[in-house]
Amino acid sequence: MGDNRPTVRVARLWDTDSPRVTRRSVLRSMAFFALAAQGAAACGISEAPPAPGGGSSADVKASNAVDEKKLNFFNWTDYIAEDTVPGFQAETGIQVTYDNFSSNDELEAKIASGAAGYDLVVPSDNFLRRFLRSNLVRPLDHDLIPNLRNLEQRFREADYDPGNRYSIPWAWGTTGLAYSRSQLGAEVTGFSAYDLAGARGRSTILDEARDGMMIGLLALGHDPNTKDAKQIEDATRYLLDLKKKIGQITSDVIEPLTSGQVPLAQCYSGDAFQARKANADLAYAIPREGGMSYVDLLCVPAKAPHAENAHRFLDYVLRPDVGAKLANAIRYGSANAAAKPMVDKELLNDPLVYPPADVLAKLPFTKDLGPDVEARYADAWTKVKTG
Amino acid sequence: MARRRAPRWLSANLLLLPTGLWLALFLLVPLALVVQYSFATRDTGPLRVVLPWTAQAYRTALDPAFLPIFGRTLAYAALTTAACLLLGFPLAWFIARHGGRHRNALLAAVLVPFWASYLARIYAWKALLDGDGLVNRLLGLVGLGRDGGFLLTDGAVVLGLTYGFLPFMVLPLYVACERFDHRLVEASYDLGHGRVSTFFRVVLPGVRPGVLAGSLLVLVPAAGDFVTPRLLGGVDQSTFGSVIDDQFRGGNNWPLGSAMAVLLMALVVVVLVVRGRRGEDVL
Repeated sequence: MGDNRPTVRVARLWDTDSPRVTRRSVLRSMAFFALAAQGAAACGISEAPPAPGGGSSADVKASNAVDEKKLNFFNWTDYIAEDTVPGFQAETGIQVTYDNFSSNDELEAKIASGAAGYDLVVPSDNFLRRFLRSNLVRPLDHDLIPNLRNLEQRFREADYDPGNRYSIPWAWGTTGLAYSRSQLGAEVTGFSAYDLAGARGRSTILDEARDGMMIGLLALGHDPNTKDAKQIEDATRYLLDLKKKIGQITSDVIEPLTSGQVPLAQCYSGDAFQARKANADLAYAIPREGGMSYVDLLCVPAKAPHAENAHRFLDYVLRPDVGAKLANAIRYGSANAAAKPMVDKELLNDPLVYPPADVLAKLPFTKDLGPDVEARYADAWTKVKTG
Repeated sequence: MARRRAPRWLSANLLLLPTGLWLALFLLVPLALVVQYSFATRDTGPLRVVLPWTAQAYRTALDPAFLPIFGRTLAYAALTTAACLLLGFPLAWFIARHGGRHRNALLAAVLVPFWASYLARIYAWKALLDGDGLVNRLLGLVGLGRDGGFLLTDGAVVLGLTYGFLPFMVLPLYVACERFDHRLVEASYDLGHGRVSTFFRVVLPGVRPGVLAGSLLVLVPAAGDFVTPRLLGGVDQSTFGSVIDDQFRGGNNWPLGSAMAVLLMALVVVVLVVRGRRGEDVL
């Protein structure tokens, strides 16, 4: 039996009789290395930088740092019309490299590292605000984008980027409630749906401070962009109470909705429609109390090698025909007013994609409330999650 | 004829150099960064942490509001270790004593499932534990089913952790069992011990090093895990690890996340040192 002994051996962590190593010698060398490492790591933290965006009249003229007919475009998966890129290539002779990502975090990691070489990226509005704070995107050269006038007014003066200084909307959606008709046995009209027997203990809310806090603020009749500490506190209490009725706090909802694990979820409309494609029992509602709009934005990274080509694409995608084809393909809201006449009637008449004016008034964009208030929201959210 | 030699202390330290460098680069420098972050000021911008130094994060981390989460984390880790021990010991003993020429195959059978992505396997448990899942339906047949399934419960989290860390227990236990001299058991019977007292007074002390190593290998990562409670647990199953993860992921409070990580680490070290003092060994 001795011949076929297993060859697996595990490090002898527990071998006690190695005479040279005593606890004292281990501690002494650990202390030495810890001090040395503190020194080596010391350059990790610096003073706070001056706030960016201080009216720098820096030159916005866009030109290609590398003179070649190329464009590197980084977009979400399944989020483009079939002929958007080929049409641009045929017209301009610019070769497009089209890559995909599936989360804002992934995009941020790529862009923040600086070496990605992308000329166009599509963050959501909350991440654009972060990119702006980090000076990761460059101002747009409006002289190169005459079609900018095709944008709907709402998207020209939006809080996330007034005057489109840094970004052009690609598509927009809303934050509302997705639910399973058969499991809830009722139509959802507002946040009271979390009280329904079929939802208890299994429903979810989004794991994102501003989105989650929004439920508390709206349910109590407050502005979801409030800066009022008292209102934020009230919303925290409301959410701590709501927490007893729900199952999970998660942004990962498409799969659980589709499989029926989750009967009711706070959810981005885009995710809801995607889940609905796989499970016709699902429905989406904008709560009576209101919700928020979100928008995915084309912008040019600060280190883009082909900034001028990127601007040509921006102008191209703002053309009515291109914008309409895009809207019809991805079935999100289009911000292109000039393209509307060419968008499918059935899509235009869907109040969940293009809500009527009175509903739209209750769907503001998420405002950047400044570092102090944003920190207050983050702390309130930690309290909700740990309380 | 005496060859010239470097002084003893020098040669000993030179031999330590590669290990020292490795430790410094991959353990101590990252660790030092975390310690520094924990004393820095939070920045909601891209830098996340800035000067000046402050202990604010520790004041927040030691808030009694986090105590229940801390307690829950330790309970999960302890239960997971106990469950791994109960499941792992018979398995390791069986493979070592009765595996014969199939030992390697049996050990591989323990390990092979762990070549698949942990995330994929936890998602599989999600489907199994769901209200319509296999587990709930089978239990339902004998009247033990639970409305809505077992997902989002403490039990689901401990089950997931136990499943995830079992091999870390089985491998060291296997080595200990395999080395254990079986003649001692016969001697014990000859000298009048029964089965139970043989197990507790002969077998268990004999494999004690394996038990300790396995328990440490399970306890420490189980206390820091955040994926399992996030996927299998609900709103009331968040652990210290998941709170730390939140502080980093949302990018909202790196100093607090670091301070909590340091506290968790300190607790583990205290446990190890106290245990080390009582036993004879360092680790």
